Amino acid sequence: MNIQFKKGVLEICVLFVLAHKDCYGYELVAEISKRIDISEGTIYPLLRRLKDEGYVTTYLQESAEGPPRKYYRLTDTGRNVEHEQKEEWMRFVASVNALLEGTNDAAD
Amino acid sequence: MLQTEAEYIRILKSRLVGTLTDDELADILSDYSEHFRMGKANGRLEDELFRSLGSPEDVAREIRATHFVNKAESVKSCGNLLHAIGATLGLGLFNLVFVLVPFILLVVLLFVVFIFGILFTVFGPAAGIYAILQIIGIPAFAIWQSPLAGIFFSLGITTFGLLLVIGDYYLARFFYRVGIRYLKWNIGVIKGTERVA
Repeated sequence: MNIQFKKGVLEICVLFVLAHKDCYGYELVAEISKRIDISEGTIYPLLRRLKDEGYVTTYLQESAEGPPRKYYRLTDTGRNVEHEQKEEWMRFVASVNALLEGTNDAAD
Repeated sequence: MLQTEAEYIRILKSRLVGTLTDDELADILSDYSEHFRMGKANGRLEDELFRSLGSPEDVAREIRATHFVNKAESVKSCGNLLHAIGATLGLGLFNLVFVLVPFILLVVLLFVVFIFGILFTVFGPAAGIYAILQIIGIPAFAIWQSPLAGIFFSLGITTFGLLLVIGDYYLARFFYRVGIRYLKWNIGVIKGTERVA
């Protein structure tokens, strides 16, 4: 898939995943790269930007194995943004699909 | 050649030291150390983790660009803006067209408006003074058929010139704000980083 397209969608993906549950970095990366092929390293700078924007906060939590992990959580602002972007995304995908189906019908 | 965690961290550190504060740098490096630690705990090899992360140079460039754009946003200055644009350009050839060209066009536009504003602001009073001198009867050559109209004309032109200069100032401030947002959007969207399979 087009790399620029993917990059733009990555932010939404991070917000969607965090809307379900707080994640630590590796978990989030694994969750996303399971479905989307992307340079995993760029998710961390993205998380920093989301933190700068006030969409996410971080906290440390002890883990059974090894040192504490850094967890990411959506803020209220982040939750609102996630909500808006999700709706926008649904509308966008529906429009593109409708367009594709329309084009297919015309081609048949 | 096998790529190790130590190598990844070393490259990232060498590209960011001097730009970020020690605290920020330590924070970023710890994110990647944690990533490697978790990956290894899940049975993955350092070399494979390195490859999935992608190039540390790309990550460093992205972090630098974000850093300079944030700096230009908090402390507004020409130097900071140029630095931010430079760092964003470093993200790829694509940005040359989408950042540099609009930037140059805007600078030229703002400059031209400014020059016109200054010209009118200087020319206006000069025309007015000439008209007044003409009423007094000093100049030998009459430019104004009606010196009174000349004075009104002069007031109009001066006001117009001042408005241009003031408007240009606010326009520049507006474009600075929009420009920063545009740079941020660029960093988020345009940079092409796809994992090389």
